[in-house]
Amino acid sequence: MLTELDKRIIASIQGDIPVTERPYLEIAENLGISEELLLKSLKNLCDKGVIRRFGATLRHQKSGYGANAMVAWQVDENDIDIVGEKMAAFRAVSHCYRRNPKDDWPYNLYTMIHAKDEASCREIARNISKDTSIDNYTLLFSREELKKTSMKYFPTGDDD
Amino acid sequence: MLSIDEIDRMILNRIQSDFPITTRPYLSIAENLNLSEDQVIKRLKRLKKKGIIRRIGGNFVPEKLGFVSTLCAAKVSQGKIDRFARAVNRYPGVTHNYRRDNKYNIWFTFIAQSMDEIKNNLENISQETSVKGIINLPATKMYKIKAHFDL
Repeated sequence: MLTELDKRIIASIQGDIPVTERPYLEIAENLGISEELLLKSLKNLCDKGVIRRFGATLRHQKSGYGANAMVAWQVDENDIDIVGEKMAAFRAVSHCYRRNPKDDWPYNLYTMIHAKDEASCREIARNISKDTSIDNYTLLFSREELKKTSMKYFPTGDDD
Repeated sequence: MLSIDEIDRMILNRIQSDFPITTRPYLSIAENLNLSEDQVIKRLKRLKKKGIIRRIGGNFVPEKLGFVSTLCAAKVSQGKIDRFARAVNRYPGVTHNYRRDNKYNIWFTFIAQSMDEIKNNLENISQETSVKGIINLPATKMYKIKAHFDL
């Protein structure tokens, strides 16, 4: 269970942390709590796995990963855990999820692949396909970013 | 492509996860890398200004905060894409939305307090835009989620 203070702390670090000598002091003062309590609560949220990753988010396009493809795979349900784990082990794969097939969409395993260009993404998909013997797959390259933001949980009303 | 040197690279590789929870986090990072705090702060400011760093902060597991998340896709004809994107993007819980080259050409993620709320929103979007058959594909198992990119 999250306390009201946890929620306010989560809201305070879901944006952009200041790049100054004492960023937590600044955040704590805004929350009206001590820096010590903020640090303790943050450690606790990390330990509980509420914070999945704490750190910088890069713009891939500007950091040498110019292309990304979502690859949807059609995998026999009996093999899906083995195949899922195998795909997850590829370095170029950042996300690997199982989802139920739906209507005219037969795919049930999804990977995000990041590489320097589209040709490299295709090659990585071919290698994954060979390695897992999954031949039925489709690559979906993003052609236009229509929205990209991070979720604002527990808005306080004075956010931006 | 990008003008970063070895020191930038070290900082970027260090700072993508396990951001220090200490009174002076940038000093902690500097100590890890044998740099000065001032150097780390100056370089991070520059990397943010250049747009290589989008933000520094927390990334959460929606489910642990009492939220649900899903991936949705729709087949939208060329002339309707702008209108459909506007209708979808209006929801704060839609955090990513991409046009992709497939018969299902619009793909977006949706986070909300419950799956019913998402289903209702999808119905409303459908009605408003006359785009039928938006598919809702919540993850049923997660094999990997990482967002650390070796530079």
